[in-house]
Amino acid sequence: MAEPEPSAEDQLAELRLTEEERLVLAKVADVLRRIQFGTVVLVVQDGKVVQIEMAEKFRLR
Amino acid sequence: MANVASIERDRPDATDVKLAARNLTVERRSAGGSAVTAATDVSFEVATGEFVCLLGPSGCGKTSILNVLAGLDRPSAGQALLDGEPITGPGPDRAVLFQEPALFPWLSVRANVELALELQGLPAEARRELAARWLANVHLERWADAQPHELSAGMRQRAALARALAADPDVLLGDEPFGALDAQARELLQREVQRVWVESNGTKTFLFVTHNVREATLLADRVLVMSASPGRLLEEFRIHAPRPRDLDDVLVARVVSEIHELLMREVDASVAREMAR
Repeated sequence: MAEPEPSAEDQLAELRLTEEERLVLAKVADVLRRIQFGTVVLVVQDGKVVQIEMAEKFRLR
Repeated sequence: MANVASIERDRPDATDVKLAARNLTVERRSAGGSAVTAATDVSFEVATGEFVCLLGPSGCGKTSILNVLAGLDRPSAGQALLDGEPITGPGPDRAVLFQEPALFPWLSVRANVELALELQGLPAEARRELAARWLANVHLERWADAQPHELSAGMRQRAALARALAADPDVLLGDEPFGALDAQARELLQREVQRVWVESNGTKTFLFVTHNVREATLLADRVLVMSASPGRLLEEFRIHAPRPRDLDDVLVARVVSEIHELLMREVDASVAREMAR
């Protein structure tokens, strides 16, 4: 039988996120909440997210 | 993560809508003289300081829509608004860049730019100073005394850009302004336009029509994609990425391919409709 997936809580606890990582994740979550269809790009330099870019798509017809 | 802030800007609120098309239907005369519907029921808004590209296959009526917003043409139905007021004709608040830069061939580059300012009633000294500043801004200061025919096509279009912006319009409308340029001149102009728009710091509103997917994605905050003739709006892409953008940017490349796919489907469908007739 497959192992049940650990809960989000457990996974987050396991990762021991730094303050900076939590900030990045918060920003990403904020972007994701506002987008229904599209693309989100994280630009990473030297191990750090330096930019979040996003393109949203809307149907007009 | 300073650039994340660029994502914060969202839908313009009703107060800062600069240009609006409300259920616009535009007709044009065919070669035989009959009226053909170019675009039908097109509605969109452009906020103050926004850069929007209207993109569509040729014949979709995008130029007809731009002409209505420029005040050069009337819609057969619907309304075009500037600052909430119906557009009844051209005005100094809107400059238009055409595919062929309409420079006066008998005037020097400087005189071409100054003429636009003279028409606005600016005194000679102010005209000279503004013209010099804008020609420097598009890197044409050394060509100020040249005649338009001495310039390359790209330089002529840069001169037209300087002339358009020296008059300090609120809105810059572009009708395939880089369509007739070679690839290098086009790239240079796209960079110039991006820079000029960024430097205007949210005060200038740009609306360009183009059939070039890469150009639209590179330049615009929002790309409005139109169907084949008669043109209707199909989809909108809002691009939150810092400028100057590059065609190699992952996000830009991704949006280009999505829009391209959408347009190919649209053109295929329109060909199929024609064949079925």
